[in-house]
Amino acid sequence: MTDTAERKTLTKEHLLDAYRTMRTIREFEERVHTEFATGEIPGFVHLYAGEEASAVGVCSNLDDRDKIASTHRGHGHCIARGVDVGEMMAEIYGRRTGSCHGKGGSMHIADLSKGMLGANGIVGGGPPLICGTALAAKLKGNGGVSVAFFGDGGSNQGTTLESMNLASVWNLPAIFVAENNGYAESTSSTWSVASDNIADRAAGFGMPGVIVDGFDFFAVHEAASEAIARAREGGGPTLIEMKFTRYFGHFEGDQQTYRAAEVEHARAELDCLKRFADRVTETGELARADLDAVDAEVGALIDRAVDEAKAAPLPTEADLLTDVYVRY
Amino acid sequence: MGDAIVGVVANPLSGRDIRRLVTQASVFPTAEKANMIQRMLTAFGAVGVHRVLLSTDLGGISAAVFRALERHRAQTGPGGQRRPGHDARWPEVDFLDGQPIRQTAQDTVDAVRRMVTAGTRVIVCLGGDGTARVAASAAGDVPMLALSTGTNNVFPAVREATVAGLAAGLVAIGAVPAGQATTRAKLLEVRVGNRTETALVDVAVSTERHVGARAVWNPATVTQLFCAFAEPDAIGLSSVLGQLAPVARHEPHGVTARLSVGAARQVLAPIAPGLVVPVGVSEIELMHPGSAHPVDARAGVIAVDGERELTIGPDDKPVVRLRADGPLCVDVPAVLTASARLGLLTSIHQTLGGAHDRHG
Repeated sequence: MTDTAERKTLTKEHLLDAYRTMRTIREFEERVHTEFATGEIPGFVHLYAGEEASAVGVCSNLDDRDKIASTHRGHGHCIARGVDVGEMMAEIYGRRTGSCHGKGGSMHIADLSKGMLGANGIVGGGPPLICGTALAAKLKGNGGVSVAFFGDGGSNQGTTLESMNLASVWNLPAIFVAENNGYAESTSSTWSVASDNIADRAAGFGMPGVIVDGFDFFAVHEAASEAIARAREGGGPTLIEMKFTRYFGHFEGDQQTYRAAEVEHARAELDCLKRFADRVTETGELARADLDAVDAEVGALIDRAVDEAKAAPLPTEADLLTDVYVRY
Repeated sequence: MGDAIVGVVANPLSGRDIRRLVTQASVFPTAEKANMIQRMLTAFGAVGVHRVLLSTDLGGISAAVFRALERHRAQTGPGGQRRPGHDARWPEVDFLDGQPIRQTAQDTVDAVRRMVTAGTRVIVCLGGDGTARVAASAAGDVPMLALSTGTNNVFPAVREATVAGLAAGLVAIGAVPAGQATTRAKLLEVRVGNRTETALVDVAVSTERHVGARAVWNPATVTQLFCAFAEPDAIGLSSVLGQLAPVARHEPHGVTARLSVGAARQVLAPIAPGLVVPVGVSEIELMHPGSAHPVDARAGVIAVDGERELTIGPDDKPVVRLRADGPLCVDVPAVLTASARLGLLTSIHQTLGGAHDRHG
């Protein structure tokens, strides 16, 4: 247990940052949703809207020592880790100015300089990666923590289960964040996850497992803060299960015939941004005007990102063979 | 007098909050909650309960019971392969489906309301203090039997479900008079502006700014504590006053105190599983039914039965009152003591005997 009063006081600046980051993710995803429909964006995109409190609640506890591994639904994790929004948008548009020079697209955005090991087209691909970075941090003794985000589908992958076992056996500073949005593509997690709660599996690996309301930034931040502090102090891995809903389909274009009115309910009643805004204004920590100013600033940021991405050059034939090999 | 109906409401989320991370609290598995319900079905069937109304959930409890019912029917129906221990007569089970499942406390409220409307005679509640609190708010005067499947449970009993099921069943069939079978619990009522919340065990005022992860797990943040009862062998916040000024469940009063890290009087208290910490206490006072106790804090949160629920601001001036009209609770030892005195399990066996003696 840590001292709540000292460790978790969220200053006005922290709260504004958290809101700005959540709003940036939302605005980014809403805009990609609109732009994808025009046909200008190549490949697939999987949008994170609705899940912002998870990425931001977790990543707002991280620092330069830390690493994260993401999923196919990775834009939110990238933004929460501080990857440049303009470069991300350019990457999604497949432009040379993108985070990966336009060669990766939505599912491979990575920025190692930000401790972001990459979005990942492989379901369950992230957890093994963070076992490696967590082991490195442990051996170096630098207090670094690694976080793997994965979905309810990813939670059933052998790679995820093996990684949790390894992290526990090696007592790694690794946090496993199961983002349970209810559906692996179109398959309900209430059908596909045998233990029903992903967090329950933690007991089998000898680590704590908790369920958090993934729509509530403060709940996520509190749980993540404790798990990360514990990991930094050598306490080992934790499994945190977020329960929430994604606002868009599995991918853009998904007809979503497998789910009913839950999205409307979530948007109206549970939305992380609305709840955050209501709470901080109710307690007097922030004013509506502060939040409105952030909204305007973020809107302009995303407009600029889209305009610049559309105007940026595509990779050329000469770029084909660059960045293929890495010299260590 | 109609069918002997028992309602069973089970919270799929109990036993999974942040205390598994910040303390050594254990996970209460879904499979065990479903097993408890099956053990109760055997007990209900044994004493002649006609119907059971069961809450539905997306956490896997009702689904597991549904599968068990299918297996049970196959085993005990015509041509079934009967095995000793697996052929008990179970009552008819109706799942309370057909309403949206929100995965919030509202699901418990909705299920309990439907049970009350359907004429349920006893409601068994599987969960923690929070689940019992929510169920009690909707149960009216239908007797409740709260069983622990949570973390810091004070109100719900840690008791074998089979035995609890026998007691609930005996009350439901009217074999034990309600006067001998139930006790009336106390209740704490918190008013903050136009919001009212109730608690069955304790109300805590915390300096935390947000409801956040809900569970109150750091007593250093608690400034005021109100207890409907405080038992010396409890776990959780009420254990603090349980050591300094114990109040039994049956006593008419409650107790309140101020908590602060620097108080002269310190008591070691088991706040959560594996967490025994010194807590500073001052200004211990009795609470009498009806009298209003103001909350002094001008900012923070109020927790009811260990869950942060209400955010308070400078103009709120919250008030806590002890009320004598809490839920009616099935007193399991009293029911089974009455059963022994009246020879109920002997006479019920003789009446329903044929059905119980398949191997005889």
